Amino acid sequence: MTLFNILVIENLNKVYQRPGKPSVHAVKDLSMTVHKGEIVALLGSSGCGKTSTLRMIAGLEGVTSGSITLAGKRIEELPPSARGVAMAFEGYSLYPPLTVRDNIGFALKAQKLAPEDASKRVIDAAKLVDIESVLDRYPSSISGGQQQRASLARALVRQANLYLLDEPMGQLEPQLRAVLRGRIKSLLNERAMTAIFVTHDQTEANALADRIAVMEGGVLQQFASQKDLKDKPANLFVATFIGEPPMNVFEAGVARAGDALKLAITHGPTLELPAGQIAAPVLAAIGGRQKVTLGVRPQRVRVGGTGLKGKLTSNQWLGDQCHVAADFAGKLMIAVSNDRVLARVGEDINFAFSANDVHLFDTATGAAISHGMAAA
Amino acid sequence: MALQLVGISKSYKGKPVISGVSLEAPTGDIVAVFGPSGGGKTVLLRLIAGIEEPDTGAILIDGVDMTHASPDMRGIGMAFQNYALFPHMSAYDNVASALSPRKLPPDEIKTRVEQIVAMLKIDHVMGHRPRELSNGQKQRTALARALVGAPKILLLDDPLRNVDAKLRYEMRLELPNLLRKFGSTVLYVTQDYKEAMAIGSRIAVLIGGKIVQVANSDAIYDKPGTVEVARLFGDPGINLFDVTPTADGRIAIANAPLSLGQGYGAAAGKTCVLGLRPEALAVSTQAKGASFPVDVLAETPLNEKTVLLMRTDDGKEVLAALPLAAAGNVPLGRAFASFASATVLLFDHATGTRIERQTAAG
Repeated sequence: MTLFNILVIENLNKVYQRPGKPSVHAVKDLSMTVHKGEIVALLGSSGCGKTSTLRMIAGLEGVTSGSITLAGKRIEELPPSARGVAMAFEGYSLYPPLTVRDNIGFALKAQKLAPEDASKRVIDAAKLVDIESVLDRYPSSISGGQQQRASLARALVRQANLYLLDEPMGQLEPQLRAVLRGRIKSLLNERAMTAIFVTHDQTEANALADRIAVMEGGVLQQFASQKDLKDKPANLFVATFIGEPPMNVFEAGVARAGDALKLAITHGPTLELPAGQIAAPVLAAIGGRQKVTLGVRPQRVRVGGTGLKGKLTSNQWLGDQCHVAADFAGKLMIAVSNDRVLARVGEDINFAFSANDVHLFDTATGAAISHGMAAA
Repeated sequence: MALQLVGISKSYKGKPVISGVSLEAPTGDIVAVFGPSGGGKTVLLRLIAGIEEPDTGAILIDGVDMTHASPDMRGIGMAFQNYALFPHMSAYDNVASALSPRKLPPDEIKTRVEQIVAMLKIDHVMGHRPRELSNGQKQRTALARALVGAPKILLLDDPLRNVDAKLRYEMRLELPNLLRKFGSTVLYVTQDYKEAMAIGSRIAVLIGGKIVQVANSDAIYDKPGTVEVARLFGDPGINLFDVTPTADGRIAIANAPLSLGQGYGAAAGKTCVLGLRPEALAVSTQAKGASFPVDVLAETPLNEKTVLLMRTDDGKEVLAALPLAAAGNVPLGRAFASFASATVLLFDHATGTRIERQTAAG
């Protein structure tokens, strides 16, 4: 199967000029392609450039330089309405004089559907986002969360080459969120809709997106599936940003004797990997470095066995998972398991992790060196 | 008993906000007050602090009736989600503002402040004004101010609400230890069930101005008092089904015969609500033993698990949470869901109260 690139962004830049103040380079040389039928998340903290990117694709914001090509057509100079995109944006609000039903239906006008078809589509979209009961109310009389969902429904009923969604589930109550995520993902997949959504919430990104673009400081850090972001983070930023709780990281001095490797964790023990227990490509990738940053995900740290030691500082059972922390190398080592850990706070515990779960990063640049037994 | 609330109620314009709340907290206890917004959590704290007075009922601190005492007589420290720091003062002066220079010599004030801020790891920013502090530092400064007076009772109103996810997680691990060191009795208000479970030695669930259940986190999760409590704990939330068990515990979901196991004879013939936590469901493409058929509609991976949205043959949506290692194992389409009978929760449909499983004597 060949993947059809429906959206191609090349060398996109956004610089905001501010009178009397230094300009802000919000999006730096962004290039990415989105396949037809793919769901993509732009993920990052506030100010990372994700919303500027989405707004430039939508046409709500001009580009400083670079190109945006949708379905084979350059769109970066076109007005929003001529771009063939459907959007649900905060502030891109519902029409106050129309009921919720008419707001959603309005988006269907251009498609010239039979009235009963149009009305059924509106009801289906409203059911999807759980606002059927407020269809005949006016926007001002429904809650913020309902307005947000109405705006989402209005975008989803349209026919478009691309759906752009800004924090689509920001205000939902947690009980509804999990179900709605599933419904929206199912709808997008079923109709092979291509969607890009912005979120600061990695749970949302993981749940919905086929691929996630992680942004920081206006720069695209990595664009990959959630599995790859977790297993093969491109750099220390992605490694510690993706994953809850964040990856445990420690600096370590490197000592090599032939094919044996010693990693002396700063203020902690030395991990010894005898020759043969570490893959040649990893050794090659480490090269002549004297120092590395070592990372291991909390879900990969096993409590028990013989290995490393630390005093347990907290042990919290959350109903379906256990989070423990132990003093280790002057910091905390966090471990997460699906089973209860029976040790008490204050006790010394043993824990261990496999060399296959260790990520190494260049301490100075943060770039990944290796993931387990594979070079990055 | 450090704190006793005896049947306190409060109404605004005839609308009850707190209704007959009773709660006891022994010295050093950390009680997480948890519930949906609008449930009365903040009002409860304001009543205890003396910012408002209850219409009826009594508030006892160390056995002394403080219901009508002025706030400064009560020995209470408070920290809020919006920090409420004085913007024109340094962080140090903000913390010290909780101590009266008329009652304490200056070097004693200095010693106390320095001790607290060192423990909270904010000693290096004490010269900064609030606007120069990160949200995490502001929040710790507010906490230090609340703790420096060594209050008997410490009231914390959703203190981690406005800090980022990473810091919130760190504080979730750290706070219980920190609070125990100070020995204060703590009421900790939160809307996040994980925070309540992690921080509270007990959790008081406040819904619609009433305390519905007080228990430790294990009991709240495994033996929720009501359907509402069960719904508020767990992510994704619990699946609920209307069922009518037979005397030997047989039920049906979408006409598929299933069993609750022994011990629910008391519920025979009654309409009940069956609660199945998403992590208690196993999903397979093959029907093995007692199971109910579903259509898998979508898979949404979370952090440590993956979630399946499924639909039963009678159109009900059901969520299953599987270990992340099982991600991608169940394709979209037809599948079968099953559960161990030991994992079920059963509630009375009319009252919402949980029905306890009767175990055979001996």
